[in-house]
Amino acid sequence: MVGFTESEERQALRQAVSELAHKYGHEYYTGKARGGGKTDELWDEAGALGYLGVSVPEEYGGGGGGIGDLAAVCEEFCAAGTPMLLMVVSPAICATVIARYGTDEQRARWLPGFADGSVRMAFGITEPDAGSNSHRITTTAARDGEDWILNGRKVFVSGVDEADAVLIVGRTTDARTGKLKPALFVVPTDTPGFEYKEIPMDLVSADKQFGLFLDDVRLPADALVGSEDAALAQLFAGLNPERIMSAAFSVGIARYALDKAAAYAKDRNVWGAPIGSHQGIAHPLAEVKIETELAKLMGQKAAALYDAGDDHGAGEAANMAKYAAAEAATRTVDQAVQTHGGNGLASEYGLGTLLGAVRVGRIAPVSREMVLNFVAQHSLGLPKSY
Amino acid sequence: MTNIVVLVKQVPDTYSERKLNESDHTLDRESADAVIDEINERAVEEALKIKEAGEGEVTVLCVGPDRATDAIRKALSMGADKAVHVSDEALQGSDMVATAKVIAGALGKVDGYDLVIAGNEASDGRGGAIPAMLAEILGVPQLTHARELSLEGTTLKVDRETEDGVTHLEANLPAVVSVTEKINEPRYPSFKGIMAAKKKPVETLTVADLGVDAGELGLSGAAATVLEAAPKPPRAAGERVEDDGDGGTKVVEYLAGQKLI
Ligand SMILES: Cc1cc2nc3c(=O)[nH]c(=O)nc-3n(C[C@H](O)[C@H](O)[C@H](O)COP(=O)(O)OP(=O)(O)OC[C@H]3O[C@@H](n4cnc5c(N)ncnc54)[C@H](O)[C@@H]3O)c2cc1C
Ligand SMILES: Cc1cc2nc3c(=O)[nH]c(=O)nc-3n(C[C@H](O)[C@H](O)[C@H](O)COP(=O)(O)OP(=O)(O)OC[C@H]3O[C@@H](n4cnc5c(N)ncnc54)[C@H](O)[C@@H]3O)c2cc1C
Repeated sequence: MVGFTESEERQALRQAVSELAHKYGHEYYTGKARGGGKTDELWDEAGALGYLGVSVPEEYGGGGGGIGDLAAVCEEFCAAGTPMLLMVVSPAICATVIARYGTDEQRARWLPGFADGSVRMAFGITEPDAGSNSHRITTTAARDGEDWILNGRKVFVSGVDEADAVLIVGRTTDARTGKLKPALFVVPTDTPGFEYKEIPMDLVSADKQFGLFLDDVRLPADALVGSEDAALAQLFAGLNPERIMSAAFSVGIARYALDKAAAYAKDRNVWGAPIGSHQGIAHPLAEVKIETELAKLMGQKAAALYDAGDDHGAGEAANMAKYAAAEAATRTVDQAVQTHGGNGLASEYGLGTLLGAVRVGRIAPVSREMVLNFVAQHSLGLPKSY
Repeated sequence: MTNIVVLVKQVPDTYSERKLNESDHTLDRESADAVIDEINERAVEEALKIKEAGEGEVTVLCVGPDRATDAIRKALSMGADKAVHVSDEALQGSDMVATAKVIAGALGKVDGYDLVIAGNEASDGRGGAIPAMLAEILGVPQLTHARELSLEGTTLKVDRETEDGVTHLEANLPAVVSVTEKINEPRYPSFKGIMAAKKKPVETLTVADLGVDAGELGLSGAAATVLEAAPKPPRAAGERVEDDGDGGTKVVEYLAGQKLI
């Protein structure tokens, strides 16, 4: 363990990101989300300042930091009320997978764009019949000479309309055994045969979800990330950052809601004293504060292990952090709304927008039940039920 | 190559509760978060713009306690090249004249300065006189309240804006400039800037290094003494007028009652 205080640089990074995010603020975000707009201005400015590329290797123009730095950036954006879902996907999953497993050409092609945010890449793994169970993925790639031909369907893929490409998790047929094994492909969103359709969601979010249709999508040989045989390792390399980022996302939202709730509870006066002096209001807020801090700490642990090269150790911590943060955030938003009374649902107070959004952390990228399965089996050694 | 020195002060965050110590009426540094004064971020920005437009080196100069390194670090992360930090217990409670002398002494440690950029007024002390005092001690031109600044060779042009209007000033380097908040929008530090800041040189000096008479500094050296200080009384709660169709009349009645109309 490195210690419980973040480095001066990490703290300065948080401060800088927070100042930038507050310049935009939650109203900017909801304005975009409600009007069908994108958070391009914020994304681009953050990208130019190197905040989105903190964890991209320096030789490709990135900051050379770790996933802990990227998670800090993500958390601060959320804490300022400007959550950018694509951060969990593009710089965290996609850039990490390409940096760790891509060929030299793939790194040179994509990493400079991840470094300054000019490239956005979505990540497609979920299928209509393969959500929690990714063993049932049926999107398949077949060789055609040097090329690959990709066929399949994906659902709930975030940000496809904003993305240059989607990192698609598919399968290839093993020539020797005939079995299907996972493989990752970079599919530019303008490739013929690739289509996407927005899924109407009851979320106030600037980043939308899409169904994908891959119909005989022809890709060049180098669309396959890294080597065909390393795909499982690649997938897992992307999953830890994804969970760490997802935890940071939830922690940030919890902080945003808690800041609002505490400020309101100090100010609002119904019976001659601020409502925050009633323990019925104060204690639940204190509880979610504790839960949020604990979740954040676990996320920092996961990031520290991951950045130290301990993928295996990071796995357990990342899953636990993701679970704990989603629970803490869901409870915090709930309690923040309650603290505000009627105003909790009034648009002016900027909390109602989060009631749905905060639950995403419980469902995606991996549901809380699947995390509990993981902990039951891997941490406790209990038998698998499915 | 223009050597630019930016004067940076660390101040209590204007968003937090700012207090004076009850015993000696000096600033209670524990009660509030300490941050770089926002006007000084603009001063740094202006220096960086000059540097980026041609050639130059930007040095940050700060007089303040040890924790003022945070303010220095912020300026370095924005892109300044190096820093001089004067930190000494003996400075506690120094007045403006003393501060100006210390800054002038510290400037003697920077090898060759062409341009000194300061904020026009610090958000805590609000004396607004340090730049003028400093220019006086140094014997160089002072161009204060700059809302715009341009440098051609060694000729400095400044638009000086006050409540009364705008004056166009010109002077030769070396000179002292103070800037207002209209001068520019300061940049956010980039991640690379943040990472580089820690590796940049910060020279730490004490009063003994400066050739300034310590007897003129600190609370005891101050020319004037604060005898008493009281916070501004909180504003009385306003009067709320419910508009039941006669809101306008009620407002007029209120204003008439206050003898305002
Ligand atoms: C806003 C949003 C954004 C998303 N973005 C993306 C994206 O960018 N890319 C992408 O690929 N996907 C994305 N997803 C999809 C998301 O990852 C899946 O929804 C998630 O993995 C769950 O899969 P499912 O919806 O198929 O649920 P199902 O697998 O159908 O599960 C339904 C319920 O059953 C439970 N369950 C399933 N199996 C078990 C078990 N063995 N034990 C106990 N309980 C079980 C689940 O926990 C869940 O509660 C997104 C989803 C949302 C809501
Ligand atoms: C070490 C130290 C301890 C002090 N302790 C106390 C105290 O305990 N209590 C108290 O009441 N006062 C204290 N003073 C404050 C002092 O009297 C004045 O506030 C200070 O000298 C500057 O005046 P001002 O803030 O009004 O500056 P202004 O004249 O309003 O400042 C204009 C500009 O001058 C520059 N500048 C001003 N001060 C500095 C600096 N220190 N370093 C670099 N650039 C600067 C900045 O660019 C600033 O924007 C202390 C001063 C120092 C240096």
